Amino acid sequence: MTIETILRQIDESPLAASIRENVNAFPLLESLHVLAIAIVFGTILIVDLRLVGLPAHRRSAQKLTAELLPFTWGAFVVAVITGSLLFVSNPVAYANNTEFLLKLVLIAIAGLNMVWFHSTTHRRIAEWDEDMPPPTAARVSGAMSLVLWTSVIVLGRWIGFTLETMFF
Amino acid sequence: MSIATFADWLYATPFSSAIRQTTWIIPDLQAIHILSIAVVIGSALITELRLAGVLATDCPVQEVLRRFLPWMRIALVVLLGTGLLLVVAEPGRTLGNALFWIKMVLVAGASLVTLQARKGLVRSTGEGGITDSPESSRLLAWFMILVWVAVIFCGRFIAYT
Repeated sequence: MTIETILRQIDESPLAASIRENVNAFPLLESLHVLAIAIVFGTILIVDLRLVGLPAHRRSAQKLTAELLPFTWGAFVVAVITGSLLFVSNPVAYANNTEFLLKLVLIAIAGLNMVWFHSTTHRRIAEWDEDMPPPTAARVSGAMSLVLWTSVIVLGRWIGFTLETMFF
Repeated sequence: MSIATFADWLYATPFSSAIRQTTWIIPDLQAIHILSIAVVIGSALITELRLAGVLATDCPVQEVLRRFLPWMRIALVVLLGTGLLLVVAEPGRTLGNALFWIKMVLVAGASLVTLQARKGLVRSTGEGGITDSPESSRLLAWFMILVWVAVIFCGRFIAYT
């Protein structure tokens, strides 16, 4: 079973057909996707800016992350579900789109950055919780996260302009 | 002059053509538009949820507003600027679409409430609890969240109607 056959099977599935045939399905999924990413980026922005050294509405970085990350995660789940359904509607086209593939790679790197931050700098957060500026490692994590997620959003928009729907 | 004639005239201007003909301008304008939407949504979410009494209740309302209102102001200005350019680039598609106008009314309303009514709360002398004014009502806060969500849906659906 090659990737090509799997993609074609998804393309021919009833789920894919129903998304394509319902004229409102794709726009609705897209709108939910936009709402989800707005919440993901909007909340991550506040946390990352705090990690970089810009004050939030509270001094404790730990309280801030505890307060906002549930929204980030919840919205991320919605983004993944809606994104997967969007993908399912035209799998061959998306799998051949450079911007889409690059976007997935950057999301993975953002995930790694997050794992690295949470297993190192965040472990010692009690030591630097209200320090301004935060420790360099925190500032680097925050800055990287900002650059990565901004790029994800830009690439996401570019998919719509570079998607090729004809393959021979 | 009808909207259609104005849109045709605008479409034919060199400025409009220039925006459309440089391939990277519209996508990047839209990307900046989306990033600014995220700033508004993030700020509005925290601000309105605080006013609704469900988030950051240990922080004074004034502190939350003072932190996020300036960001919303800047993001709304960027949204207006990028939005204007996007309209200039594709006037018929926007000005001739009812959803675009509905979105404009919703955005204007929500922006007014945020930048005017909420601005008043920043200077209120409450000790940290929610003051008992219509501008701070929980109902209005939940309604505001709904309005911003509606704006997002209207915005995306413009491309499909």
